[in-house]
Amino acid sequence: MNPTAVDTTESAARPAGAPAPAGRRRVPTTRGAPPGSGRRPPLVLLVPACVAALFALLPLGYLAVRALERGPGYAWDVVADERTLQLLSRSLGLTAVVVAACLVLGVSLAWLTVRTALPGARAWSVLATLPLAVPSYVAAFTWLAAAPENAGFAGAALALTLVSFPYVHLPVAAALRGIDPAQEEAARSLGHGPWRTFLRVTLPQLRPAAAGGALLVALYVLSDFGAVSLMRYDTFTRAIHTSYRASFDRTPAAALSVVLVVMTVALVAAEARTRGRAGHARTGAGTARPAAPIPLGRWRIAALAWCATVVAVAVAFPLGTLGYWLAVGSSAIWDLGDLARTAWTTLGVAAAGAALTTLLALPVGVIAARHRGRGVRLLEQAAYAGHALPGITVALSLVFFAVRYAYPLYQQLPLLVCAYAVLFLPVAVAATRAAVLQAPPVLEDVARSLGRSPISVLREVTVPLAAPGVAAGAALTFVVCMKELPATLLLRPTGMDTLATRLWTETGAGSFAAAAPYAAALILLAAIPSYLLGRHRT
Amino acid sequence: MNDLDLRNDLRIERLAKSYGPEATVLEGLDLTVPGGALAALLGPSGCGKTTLLRIVAGFLDADAGTVAVGGRTLVGPGVHLPPERRRIGIVPQEGALFPHLSVARNVAFGLTGLDRGERYYRTEEMLDLVGLAGYGDRMPHELSGGQQQRIALARALAPRPALVLLDEPFNALDSALRAGVRADVRAALRATGATALLVTHDQQEALSTADLVAVVRQGRIAQCDTPQNLYRRPADPWVAGFVGDAVLLPGAVANGGSTATTSLGNVALTNPPDGRSTGTVVLRPEQLRLVDPATAEAVRGKVTDVCFYGHDAKVSVAVRGLGDPVDVRVSGAVSIDPGEETGIRVTGEATFHP
Amino acid sequence: MRRPSARRTTALVAAGLLLPALAACGSDGGKDGSAEGGDSSLVIYSGRNEKLVKPILDKLEKAVGSKVEVRYGDSAELAAQILEEGDRTKAGLFFSQDAGALGALSKEGVLAKLPQSSLEEVDAAYRGGKGDWVGLSGRVRVIAYNPDKVAEDDVPDSVQDVVKPEWKDKVGFAPTNASFQAFVTGMRVIEGDDATREWLKGLKANGKTYANNLATLDAVESGEVSLGLVNHYYWYERVAEKGEDKVGAKLHFLPGEDPGALINVAGVGILKDSGQSETAQKAVDYLLSKEAQIYFADRTKEYPLAAGVTSKVEGLPPFESLESPDIDLGKLESLQETLAMLQEVGLV
Repeated sequence: MNPTAVDTTESAARPAGAPAPAGRRRVPTTRGAPPGSGRRPPLVLLVPACVAALFALLPLGYLAVRALERGPGYAWDVVADERTLQLLSRSLGLTAVVVAACLVLGVSLAWLTVRTALPGARAWSVLATLPLAVPSYVAAFTWLAAAPENAGFAGAALALTLVSFPYVHLPVAAALRGIDPAQEEAARSLGHGPWRTFLRVTLPQLRPAAAGGALLVALYVLSDFGAVSLMRYDTFTRAIHTSYRASFDRTPAAALSVVLVVMTVALVAAEARTRGRAGHARTGAGTARPAAPIPLGRWRIAALAWCATVVAVAVAFPLGTLGYWLAVGSSAIWDLGDLARTAWTTLGVAAAGAALTTLLALPVGVIAARHRGRGVRLLEQAAYAGHALPGITVALSLVFFAVRYAYPLYQQLPLLVCAYAVLFLPVAVAATRAAVLQAPPVLEDVARSLGRSPISVLREVTVPLAAPGVAAGAALTFVVCMKELPATLLLRPTGMDTLATRLWTETGAGSFAAAAPYAAALILLAAIPSYLLGRHRT
Repeated sequence: MNDLDLRNDLRIERLAKSYGPEATVLEGLDLTVPGGALAALLGPSGCGKTTLLRIVAGFLDADAGTVAVGGRTLVGPGVHLPPERRRIGIVPQEGALFPHLSVARNVAFGLTGLDRGERYYRTEEMLDLVGLAGYGDRMPHELSGGQQQRIALARALAPRPALVLLDEPFNALDSALRAGVRADVRAALRATGATALLVTHDQQEALSTADLVAVVRQGRIAQCDTPQNLYRRPADPWVAGFVGDAVLLPGAVANGGSTATTSLGNVALTNPPDGRSTGTVVLRPEQLRLVDPATAEAVRGKVTDVCFYGHDAKVSVAVRGLGDPVDVRVSGAVSIDPGEETGIRVTGEATFHP
Repeated sequence: MRRPSARRTTALVAAGLLLPALAACGSDGGKDGSAEGGDSSLVIYSGRNEKLVKPILDKLEKAVGSKVEVRYGDSAELAAQILEEGDRTKAGLFFSQDAGALGALSKEGVLAKLPQSSLEEVDAAYRGGKGDWVGLSGRVRVIAYNPDKVAEDDVPDSVQDVVKPEWKDKVGFAPTNASFQAFVTGMRVIEGDDATREWLKGLKANGKTYANNLATLDAVESGEVSLGLVNHYYWYERVAEKGEDKVGAKLHFLPGEDPGALINVAGVGILKDSGQSETAQKAVDYLLSKEAQIYFADRTKEYPLAAGVTSKVEGLPPFESLESPDIDLGKLESLQETLAMLQEVGLV
């Protein structure tokens, strides 16, 4: 999912050279930098990457039109309100707590399942990925039903943490697998205990992976409407929704959305700083020797209990609650035919969404991994810019553009698929970037010198090498597309239903039991790609 | 197999590159390698040799200067040929085989524009050339490091490049393997007749492998010559020290320039200097002989250290009038211990550097 | 460097994406383009839940004799969508859950004037002031109470009373619910902003907030709160499902034109730029017909609004007996100030 490559610094990669005479000026060599750094990315990558970025920026164009339609003064009045500051602090507070909790859950589970002699480590690792399949609104729903007194901040934080910690778990687990155990052995031999070794040697190397995951979690929390509205915790996204609902006025909603975009850009920039110069591919042949699992000793039971608890509350609890509703609900009518049709439609649109998103993300991810510079940074940030916007805003922006410039596509499947791409581009970009970073850049140099053009290098070398990681990103995008609700409601072809929209209809009619089969089907179907993700080894 | 093409000479003129005002890497570098020759680019870390290699290969833009192979300009004013159109093969460190392709498909990777049969024939031919016939179906990770390196060479040579660049290709190999692979690579390059540029920081490797060694210092070529000449007639004391052990002695010219007077006595000079009469006299440790201290003409000194290498040994001797002990290479058994008195005699000719 | 399992996973994911995507593209054609045929077919944007209205809209398709497509969504979001679509809207008819969304569209001038014959079916109080939308069914705000916690005689007769100290922590309500917000708007219109603000402050001090009317009713049933400010029909639906003796709450209809007895309506308007107005008009006529009106009465337990149709739901007070405040529902679209007030008080 995210930068998982191990940094082999230049000095480590090459034996010490002949000693330079004293006083000699040392100049940097280019060995450590990716090829083409400092050079413009080839047009065959740059053009599609710019198309993808423009695509992702569409909602921003719409927001500019809407926010400013009554003049900048009005928009400023909306934003420069005491309440905005209040919402900002509430949103950021929730984000901070959820991100912190996800880091604790994600890193601890990744370390336990990858590096220790935890019984059934592989199974736990896969189970820890499954919460991805649970939509935030379903998680919130089940928790609300079980513990209504948790509504508010605590409930929202709980539900969001439990569905989003795999965003941290997955890249951190991949990074842990890539760390050369020799480093930890060296630390142990220098007198550090296992805990100090983890803190001082292992954890710093996990920082880029954890930060990338944390960014996705943060943007997810900022954009989430389902959980916060059910849990009645007022955030920016909820205020935007309320603005549409209460005043039927798109201008204040747009002005508030712009603030969300600014927050997103700040978060993305902060994440980029944590990357530093790390993230170079390991150029050695073969993977690092696998690490010997750390024996848990008397902590074994505690570790098992921890994993079991997390899986129980994040996966077993929502599924169990749905099962209970299925079993006891008087209004549970099983229309298997409808369920199967809806499930098939859901798979279809989510697959198309994942395919388009992955395709658009590919050039952006490759450029982000292989080139540096202000333009490249802007390109990658453009892909993220709209990611924290609520689905309704993105959907309305596409309504705006499609009605004006692509009317034949309006309320057709392709537009919905495009909406998924706009919404989830960063998920696929992050995965592609990390996957490309894993492939040694020198292979691309060699291919170029053997007469291949940049495009065929991409096709024959970069993509095949990065394919497993890109596929993992596609699977993740697939899962989030399946769960998407607000944009699907507004942009789907008339009469088309996905599991998420059926779920919305049934709960809107107030019958949890009738909604349960759709929720269960959604979770079980989304669990398949999640399972593949959990098994995937970078 | 007879690709010998003497016209594939490499000409680099006034090549300049900097990464900023304080980070000039190449400062107007000139280098000519005749067609078919194997030249080594030797220099300390950070001297600019990797930058030079990447500019020649086309992965980096030069600020100024020209690069031409066989009269065809690759880099020049307004010219920057993309790497894929340069006909330059590269053999990176550690081989860098495509891990997702079989050995045969790795070798055939650059063979575009050939039909199936020709491609197969050429691949087999190249595998045979590097002594790995029959390995075509293996995957790269199934090969040893040395085998990977030889496949990388076969892959680079397969499309008959005008020039092959080898970037410290033997670094990753352990020393026992290194000599064998080095010899194989040299033989394969000879057989195809390709012009080759070998980047290395290992002077042994450069001297033993290359037809021509170019020593790079501070972004310029300090000296480019045959290994013999480079060793025997270094352009300056720094080059002398960089390409091997050197004994540096202050000296004054005598006898009309044919000898120099030093603390080790009178030494014959290869290069009669004009002008200045004092400077540095450069000798190789193997030009010094340990003799009985009582011998006439011998300079006397006291042994400070003995390093035994197996095939020979290095004896350090403190000589009156010199700040540092001088090193004397002694072959065979060493029958002297630190603290003992010895005599030193100089054989052969030295170079003089004003 | 790569293990076979990675390769297999990649292939699996690729196949998994490709197959359904192709299937989706292939099966997509059936529904496309058919809405473009001008007057012959009708597209309805329905803010009312599919579960509630699909049966009657299926019948409507037969009644108007044209193909009818229904796009379900949230009333406010659909209104926003229609406004973004502008004069190229696909919607011929907007079926809204509440008067507010219709009022918003009316204000933007995207609705067509309805013929007098349709308007006259419904009391002037329940249709748009510009004659461009009409109410179909009504719901009334009531106080639900738990008979184990409070005697019927002690249930307040005015919402003004629920902010008194005796009801501290005993009142449940759903501040984000559209009906609640419409009711607050009504109170602002009737009693002024200052009085409403004070009342909301009192309610905040006394009350417990819930996600929606159903959750509020649940809380009343469970005794978590004694009183709940809800719409009437949730209770009747629950009674229909479980039987009255199994429902642990009762309803109190407020007398004396109390703002707490506000009636809100679901209604329809015709989009003037859709080119479907002829069929849409037929649809409006059908929805005001006896068949459709009785459907709303029976299925949703709402009050039918067309003249001469009476609900047969057991225990439901007659529509005429309701003592609701007299208020222009079209003004309920101005929720913005209400919302600002709710925000100011800290309820949303």
